[in-house]
Amino acid sequence: MASTAATRTAAGAARVVKPLFSRDLDEAKRRVRELYRAWYREVPNTVALFQLDISTRQAKDKVREMFVKNKHITDPRVIDMLVIKGKMELEETIKVWKQKTHIMRYFHETENQRPADFLSRFYQGHDP
Amino acid sequence: MLRFPAVGRALSGAAKGSLAPSNSVRTQSRAAGTMVEVFVDGKPVEVEPGTTVLQACEKVGIQIPRFCYHERLSVAGNCRMCLVEIEKAPKPVAACAMPVMKGWNILTNSDKTRKAREGVMEFLLANHPLDCPICDQGGECDLQDQSMQFGSDRSRFTENKRAVEDKNIGPLIKTIMTRCIQCTRCVRFASEIAGVEDLGTTGRGNNLQIGTYVEKMFMSELSGNVIDICPVGALTSKPYAFTARPWETRKTESIDVLDAVGSNIVVSTRGGEVMRIMPRLNEDVNEEWISDKTRFAYDGLKRQRLTQPMVKDASGQLTATSWEDALTRVAGALQGAQGSEVAAIAGGLADAESLVALKDLLNRLNSDSLCTEELFPMDGAGTDLRSNYLLNTRIAGVEDSDVLLLVGTNPRYEAPLFNARIRKSWLHNELRVALVGRQVDLSYTYDHLGEESAVLQELASGTHPFCEVLRAAKRPMVVVGSSALQRADGAGILAAVSALAQNARASSGVDEGWKVLNVLHRVASQVAALDLGYKAGVEAIRNNPPKILYLLGADAGCITRADLPKDSLVIYQGHHGDVGAPMADIILPGAAYTEKNATYVNTEGRSQQTRIAVTAPGTAREDWQIIRALSELAGVALPYDTVDEVRSRLAEVSPNLTRYDDVEGANYFKQANELASAVDQTLLAAPLVPPQLTAKDFYMTDSISRSSQTMAKCVKAITEGASAVDEPSIC
Amino acid sequence: MFLSSAIRSAVSQTARQVRSLHRSAARAGAGGIFVHRDTADNNPDTPFEFTAENKKRIEAIISMYPLGHKQAATIPVLDLAQRQHGWLPISAMNKVAEVLEVAPMRVYEVATFYTMFLRQPVGKYFIQICTTTPCMLCNSDSILEALKTKLGIKVGETTPDKMFTLIEVECLGACVNAPMVQINDNYYEDLTAEDMDHIIDELKAGRVPPPGPRNGRFSCEPAGGLTSLTEPPPGPGVGVRADL
Repeated sequence: MASTAATRTAAGAARVVKPLFSRDLDEAKRRVRELYRAWYREVPNTVALFQLDISTRQAKDKVREMFVKNKHITDPRVIDMLVIKGKMELEETIKVWKQKTHIMRYFHETENQRPADFLSRFYQGHDP
Repeated sequence: MLRFPAVGRALSGAAKGSLAPSNSVRTQSRAAGTMVEVFVDGKPVEVEPGTTVLQACEKVGIQIPRFCYHERLSVAGNCRMCLVEIEKAPKPVAACAMPVMKGWNILTNSDKTRKAREGVMEFLLANHPLDCPICDQGGECDLQDQSMQFGSDRSRFTENKRAVEDKNIGPLIKTIMTRCIQCTRCVRFASEIAGVEDLGTTGRGNNLQIGTYVEKMFMSELSGNVIDICPVGALTSKPYAFTARPWETRKTESIDVLDAVGSNIVVSTRGGEVMRIMPRLNEDVNEEWISDKTRFAYDGLKRQRLTQPMVKDASGQLTATSWEDALTRVAGALQGAQGSEVAAIAGGLADAESLVALKDLLNRLNSDSLCTEELFPMDGAGTDLRSNYLLNTRIAGVEDSDVLLLVGTNPRYEAPLFNARIRKSWLHNELRVALVGRQVDLSYTYDHLGEESAVLQELASGTHPFCEVLRAAKRPMVVVGSSALQRADGAGILAAVSALAQNARASSGVDEGWKVLNVLHRVASQVAALDLGYKAGVEAIRNNPPKILYLLGADAGCITRADLPKDSLVIYQGHHGDVGAPMADIILPGAAYTEKNATYVNTEGRSQQTRIAVTAPGTAREDWQIIRALSELAGVALPYDTVDEVRSRLAEVSPNLTRYDDVEGANYFKQANELASAVDQTLLAAPLVPPQLTAKDFYMTDSISRSSQTMAKCVKAITEGASAVDEPSIC
Repeated sequence: MFLSSAIRSAVSQTARQVRSLHRSAARAGAGGIFVHRDTADNNPDTPFEFTAENKKRIEAIISMYPLGHKQAATIPVLDLAQRQHGWLPISAMNKVAEVLEVAPMRVYEVATFYTMFLRQPVGKYFIQICTTTPCMLCNSDSILEALKTKLGIKVGETTPDKMFTLIEVECLGACVNAPMVQINDNYYEDLTAEDMDHIIDELKAGRVPPPGPRNGRFSCEPAGGLTSLTEPPPGPGVGVRADL
């Protein structure tokens, strides 16, 4: 029993992870930079196209924020998957499959912050 | 009075033969005998001799369809739905009434069995109206379910259907007697469990009908249970009529708080409204019954509610305000007051969480005047020893007892389900009951020893004739009502009862595990409050009137404005605008028991929790949260933010409060008795009269049931007759 | 399959045409409905008390049953009450319940179950005429007609002087002496319309005519004389082999 468990662990350790695209972290980072660059170039176009009520500066900051949010990720496969998702978003934006409201959702304008302290939660509702 | 002498004697004979703790009515242990082997569909099963075919099948997990059979009622065997084939028997047998014989092979799904069921079902449906779409039982109807499962898809009946006149048996139960299939479950329930022999079968043959014959209400505090046991829609709930369907409602398992028994209930809700309340099985507390107050007072949860914080303005009118405003005012007042100027009174519906929060808050403000409305003698051991204020023998313990002495209580209306247990034991176990106090109808016979307190002293000193019976008792039980202890001489009464219990224990020679002394409480919060260290009774507050009085659901009217200084501030926190709220300067709306996750401890000391079934109306909040928010504004923030944290605080104060569904046994009876002997033993001459004497006193006892129209109708029906509250029925 | 269902539906169709079910007149006359409605002469305040003599009888009846089983005496005590009062008002049933120490409902159950317990007022003479098949074939209709015209009441009614109540009942078990009527405890058998008139006249005159057959029969022997077993019974040894 123990021996089979041991072999299973050994096999797990030895198993080669099949990459999505990137074979190592550097390659993944390169893909991220490419995506970032593509977004960066697209931002002014998007602001104009969607007639957003924000400046290009703000939009670029938001792009940067979205990327920085995931900077702790080191697994190339996860990075690749996020890049795929980012490309999809980008495509949807470029081809105007999105609408203005979908873009503005990145900015969480209409969302209320849920209070954290007891008293505010108490004032706010039944289920703090 | 119905009592089966032969059966009872046989059972009690067995009980006296071996006083094993498991020997109760429920376990029905019979004289030892060899097991009988029978086969159910070829599967062998060993059962005790005397087991019925139906029980044997149940043992292997096969349910036989039935209408008239109910495990808590006597066997009638008149619906014939449980017919099964026995191999090599000439005819199908009624499984519910036929004891098994050795080697029988019971065929529960043979052609003959299925044909028999189909035939019986056809007969039952012959006279049953096809009004399922307008029947309140639809969706939870045994007849509906079983005709789908076992019935035929057509009927050969072409004649006229029988029609039966509906009866008016009170404001709670709606009768549509045409739907009745004459299973007589209600008749047996009334005569066996409720002890009110008002229902019966009149007439014969096709004209047989269930009813009261004369125009009469079915007057029992447990009457609502016939709604549950009726397998068809003949007896349904009047307040619930045409309001909801069972598949639309959400069911929340909860606890009842309208008496101290803590019956387990299921709250059916739809769209944030309580639609009805039904019992939940708990063999140790309520079996599967609940009292009418538990079942029908729910409409009180929708009336007279406090929905927003209120503050008394300059003209003396209470005006609605925001939580911030109300809480800031209270906090400001608390900050400006000395510790000794603040006091709190907890009412009968307060939960353990809010009780501990309130205690913590006041303690932080340097005050310790926390009282409960319900009085309890504090002399002697007082509430220091838990054994002094619990129903130590437990509710189910009555079934093992052989002599029961009730002192100054009327359990029938103070704790109907406890009374049902006593009746059960009286009926099946030859329990001997005696009563000191006002002679009332308890639904069983008892020795009335008188209502003077002197009788109690005679009993305690051993000079009363009944002491002979107590001395001979194997498992005696003494139950004193909480109301008897609320007299001026309460401590003396408790001392006398305690001595009496101690003597009975000594003479019975019963082992240490058996408790004799019991206190029967009437309100749900009392045990938890005493466990948490609340002082019982408001005497201290009356003697030392505080500047700020905090009422936590205190609706009994123990303290009035007249007892307080003119400039005192009264804060009322609770869910109903009943007695407490009108005298308050600031009202903080709390949640009722169906609207909060809360802990309640019943009179046995069993802690159980209610669960949120609906949200509290308006801006009302859960009670402990109000106190927690208030503490923060007053600058003495309590260190808990979630209900789990409150409960860990509860566990710190009294660990038994969070051991749910478990009873922490209390001991130190001897010490309590010794301490009690030090108190003033003289008793007042006034007779021991419990406050609830007749059914009229039962229905409206707390802020919820006082707001309930259904309960008001019950009182009216009792005083003026059922026709006074009769509403034109729609169908 | 189709055929049978077609037949069945045809049968049920025809059956539906005759919807009036036969209802025993006994119900209409003596039994009535199986719930109690207070009336002027039948309510809980209707005076009823057992006579001293009957109280003794009750004691005797109860003593026949084991201790603690007083309830077993319900039927005889109810009968006693009915004999005393002529019928059973609700107050009498309550009284029986009180005497037997049972809930009134338990007594109502028994009283409503048995059709011979009369829960509605009847006249001094309670006439039950049998119109079941054997009596009907022996022309009970003419007897019924005679009764109706003689008393001037319909089935289920009581004469204004409270002397006679007439109801139609099912078989009373005297088919061999059909047609028959039962008046209180007496069977009058082998009746003709004239016999019936005569009996009523006698009763009206305050005399109770002797019960039994009216055509000269002693009891239930064959009406047309014996048709078999007419010769005297042969002695032992008849039809037995001679050599035995």
